[in-house]
Amino acid sequence: MHLPAHEFVKPATLAEGLSLLQSAAGEIKPVAGGTDVIYNMRGRLFQPDVLLSVRELPELQGVRSAAGGRMRLGAGSRLTDLERSPELAAYPMLVRALRSVASRHVRNMATLGGNLCLDTRCWYTNQTAEWRQAKGPCLKNGVNVCHAIQSSEVCVALNASDIAPALIAHGARVTLACADGERELLLADFYTDDGVAHTLRRADELMVAVTLPPPPADAVFVKETARKGNDFSYGVIAAAGEVAGELVTGLTLVMGSLTTRPVSLVEPVRLIATQGLTDTAIAAAAAATREELGALTNLYTPAAYKSTLARALVTEALQRLRGAAA
Amino acid sequence: MNTVAKRQVMSLTVNGDTYEVLVSPRQTLLDVIRGPIGLRGTKEGCATGTCGVCTINNEQGEALLSCLTPALEWDGKSVTTVEGLEADGELAPIQQAFVEFGAVQCGFCTPGVIMSAQGLLNSFHKPSEDDINDGMAGVLCRCTGHIKVKDAIRDVVKKRA
Repeated sequence: MHLPAHEFVKPATLAEGLSLLQSAAGEIKPVAGGTDVIYNMRGRLFQPDVLLSVRELPELQGVRSAAGGRMRLGAGSRLTDLERSPELAAYPMLVRALRSVASRHVRNMATLGGNLCLDTRCWYTNQTAEWRQAKGPCLKNGVNVCHAIQSSEVCVALNASDIAPALIAHGARVTLACADGERELLLADFYTDDGVAHTLRRADELMVAVTLPPPPADAVFVKETARKGNDFSYGVIAAAGEVAGELVTGLTLVMGSLTTRPVSLVEPVRLIATQGLTDTAIAAAAAATREELGALTNLYTPAAYKSTLARALVTEALQRLRGAAA
Repeated sequence: MNTVAKRQVMSLTVNGDTYEVLVSPRQTLLDVIRGPIGLRGTKEGCATGTCGVCTINNEQGEALLSCLTPALEWDGKSVTTVEGLEADGELAPIQQAFVEFGAVQCGFCTPGVIMSAQGLLNSFHKPSEDDINDGMAGVLCRCTGHIKVKDAIRDVVKKRA
């Protein structure tokens, strides 16, 4: 099936691209690798008037050191190039997360910015157009109905990025540019609880870079999925901090793929920070996780499985973190 | 805004031959290669980037999913398809190995599997088992079970100096 009708434009510079984003009449969608945007256009989930190709914008490429031991990753960098980048060797947990995404084929095309802006996914919407037609539109198509959780007033589609939790655990910041200038915000603050407007990126903005603080002493990434290759995650967790024996400082615990936005866990982190990585504290942290995730009833697995999985991921991540320091 | 998919002339080099083709934004690289260019080796499978059957190689020789690549994105660039592997009537080493190891059953996915393997062999001179699994996880053969496919790849690697 052909893609929906649209105009394809490919600016030569970032400035030209941003000006096109600002002046666009109708819906304009940036596309880089195309593995999410083109896929969703095939399913008629996206029907933009204009596709703005940002894949080769020179300003979006490459990894380079920045002031204060930080690292700046161009949002247009391909996942394959980031995985193999010598500059990122100091961030092995991030490299693990990058390598866990989809398949080599997809990572040869997909970009960092594209992954962080991946559309949210839902068992209802991510079907063929004909399938959706049978039950009618939902919040994603401008109607005030949610077929996944019928009592919900907001879209509860899930964030699908494996890289976002890893980057959030590292304390990464994102740079968004528009024709009038740039702004920077914590990636942790970039996502919302609304599966439709699921990021703070405005339509006239483009994600241009991700900035990483110096690498943490210890970090782990755990992904649970049906098969190793090509599947979306059932759930992922990223943890970072500095571990000395059972003591851990600067701990971050971030869960992805279970909810509309990646969730930075609060109470489990507090428990471990105050009690250390003991078996008792790890069990308490795992038990405190479920409450911070909200409703869990979308995609792939039943709610009870997701609750169990969330506990298991926290336990696994904390046990591995303890092992990493041994 | 009512969008008309305006056709444009683009230039695409496939297996060393350059074609000027009139392309709509609605078409993917796969549509153009199979349609106006007329090379039917590359197949459409799922058209969603899952099965890898449409795999061709990009300019760096890496695996590229032609079903998810807008054709106009590739204006002025080159690709290699399965038809471009043989030289002077001689099969490429990976094609020969597929024949010798019987890494083919129904054959529908074979162009995509071979171009995935070629992408792997272009990226690594001596790929490890992990590299082979990683390079081939994104292409699905429902007949062979991938065992003979991996045997064929290992054989090419073994014969490399």
